[in-house]
Amino acid sequence: MSRLRFTSLRLRLVVVFGLVALTAAVSASGIAYWLNREAVLTRTQDAVLRDFQQEMQNRAGALPVHPTQDELQRTAGQMANSSQRFSVLLVGDDTNGKTVYGSSDGLSAFALDDVPTSLRKAVDKQQKVTDSNKATYHLYWQRVVDHGTPYLVAGTRLIGGGPTGYMMKSLEPEAKDLNSLAWSLGIATGLALIGSALLAQAAATTVLKPVHRLGVAARRLGEGKLDTRLRVSGTDELADLSRTFNDAAEALEKRVDDMAARDDASRRFVADMSHELRTPLTAITAVTEILEEELEAESGSVDPMIEPAVRLVVSETRRLNDLVENLMEVTRFDAGTARLVLDDVDIADQITACIDARAWLDAVDLDAERGVHARLDPRRLDVILANLIGNALKHGGSPVRVSVRIDAEVLVIAVRDHGPGIPEDVLPHVFDRFYKASASRPRSEGSGLGLSIATENARIHGGSITAANSPEGGAVFTLRLPRDASQLAEESNDSGEKGA
Amino acid sequence: MGQNEPVPSLLLIEDDDAIRTALELSLTRQGHRVATAATGEDGLKLLREQRPDLIVLDVMLPGIDGFEVCRRIRRTDQLPIILLTARSDDIDVVVGLESGADDYVVKPVQGRVLDARIRAVLRRGERESSDSATYGNVVIDRSAMTVTKNGEDLQLTPTELRLLLELSRRPGQALSRQQLLRLVWEHDYLGDSRLVDACVQRLRAKVEDVPSSPTLIRTVRGVGYRLDAPQ
Repeated sequence: MSRLRFTSLRLRLVVVFGLVALTAAVSASGIAYWLNREAVLTRTQDAVLRDFQQEMQNRAGALPVHPTQDELQRTAGQMANSSQRFSVLLVGDDTNGKTVYGSSDGLSAFALDDVPTSLRKAVDKQQKVTDSNKATYHLYWQRVVDHGTPYLVAGTRLIGGGPTGYMMKSLEPEAKDLNSLAWSLGIATGLALIGSALLAQAAATTVLKPVHRLGVAARRLGEGKLDTRLRVSGTDELADLSRTFNDAAEALEKRVDDMAARDDASRRFVADMSHELRTPLTAITAVTEILEEELEAESGSVDPMIEPAVRLVVSETRRLNDLVENLMEVTRFDAGTARLVLDDVDIADQITACIDARAWLDAVDLDAERGVHARLDPRRLDVILANLIGNALKHGGSPVRVSVRIDAEVLVIAVRDHGPGIPEDVLPHVFDRFYKASASRPRSEGSGLGLSIATENARIHGGSITAANSPEGGAVFTLRLPRDASQLAEESNDSGEKGA
Repeated sequence: MGQNEPVPSLLLIEDDDAIRTALELSLTRQGHRVATAATGEDGLKLLREQRPDLIVLDVMLPGIDGFEVCRRIRRTDQLPIILLTARSDDIDVVVGLESGADDYVVKPVQGRVLDARIRAVLRRGERESSDSATYGNVVIDRSAMTVTKNGEDLQLTPTELRLLLELSRRPGQALSRQQLLRLVWEHDYLGDSRLVDACVQRLRAKVEDVPSSPTLIRTVRGVGYRLDAPQ
């Protein structure tokens, strides 16, 4: 209904219905018109000609062979007075051999010029008398149109000498009748066309409504509302189509559910797994510290032979701890259980504390003024900063420059290193989990989750992190966070409670 | 670690054998006397028998869980409790703090961190200057480390007491959550501000006439908290 394209089904239906109606109406009314016309004209004509013939026999036949002008004139007037009201022209030769005329309406009205030459010739032609033809002269007629008015012109000669008679009868009343008939037929055709268009609309609606519903349902399905179903009514092809659609949607929903369930299961597996790893790891971590203290003790209580082994256990336990911690963090983001714990913090203080806690003060060049406050989750900001700065130190090398500015209520922190930058083909993948720029890269470079976790932490604040190469060389990671994340935090907490 | 300091006695309630043994080992090495229990029920029994200075409590316990143990202890006792949570899920932390815990650590915890938290909590009960302050009907006696309201002694945990003392030391001045975390909990810059909020709620419940409309411990929006004498 909304869009009437030239190729639309509705338009095509209307056109086809219209053509059918037009053909039917035009042929029906055309035939009716012609039949009627012939009937009307023939009836009028026959009556007129019969009368004319009668008058010719009765009155013109009573004239002498060579009548005078007056006689002809009078007789013509008498003939014209018959019931059929036609004009009469009598042409004869008087005794002097001169051609004389007698016209019913005066000489000016109906003259010999009004009679077509072909008709005159036919009238004057003497026929051979045979078995089937008993008369030497016949009555001929012709229909002519003069100044838009149709006339019947007829003429005949008296057998055995006498004047030639012509008559002219206006067919205007008949033409008027036929005209009004044509008009009515035209109007009927128009009405039929309009009716057919309305019918086509109705038919199109009954066909298109289900099609439209199907379209809407398909669109909803495409938007991910997999529980979309159509109401099936009737047993026609469209109902079949609806049923097929429902089956397809059901299959799709089941498929997606299965996949989601499998995805959920694998996520839960990772979550459970990292959770389970924690318990032994807690015990190991607690004991590892005792080993560590033994290593640090100056007494040298550890056997030099096993010292490297102890060191390895200590350092790898720490790495395992980090990995499990990161895995837990990632599963919390995946499960949507991560929450913001907001506080008002001074950004410069926070960054200083972050780099101080990791003994990076010498390697980091901080460009930030104190007094810039933001409402965010300080622990998550610390995770982001530690990952970005740690990453910059590892891959780019010092000095790492950290700059802070406020851009329209958005906190922008840029971390720029002085390394070789990031290759263009790696750039889109730097935030992918466990993405390694090259297979040969040593695995000790990190858990492979750091930047991914940093991005998730930015996203939960309603912010983002982008990576790019600085035109002056080196990679630049830009963190953007809303200055006040409280509204977002409330929303996510609300939805979390509803979901629980 | 001073030589004259009395050795603090701890009660560790943890169901996992390995963790219990490892933590006992680690804490003993840090100079604590450690008693252990594997279930909440055993822990509550030991608590009555031994009167430890502090409890380290695992959240996930068979039978009655850590939160419930915490609630039961708080009904009669104000001794410090540190929760040991395997999940840093935020719901766990909030529930733990609401049930009356003073602090929490997340597994896998480093012995040193746990030790630092234990010592910080224990320090909160230490006496300091010997003066007293009066805020309406609430009297804070710093020498006796008691707080009375309308002449009646209030049962405050060391953390609640310390929070009140820190606030009363700067009356009318707003302290941020981060400041309070440093002063009371001795946390670093990443302290969980919910510790402060939960403790303030508990303190208000005990100190204020109408806890839902506090007149003493005021919230300062965008900053933190402030102690005011009622008008």
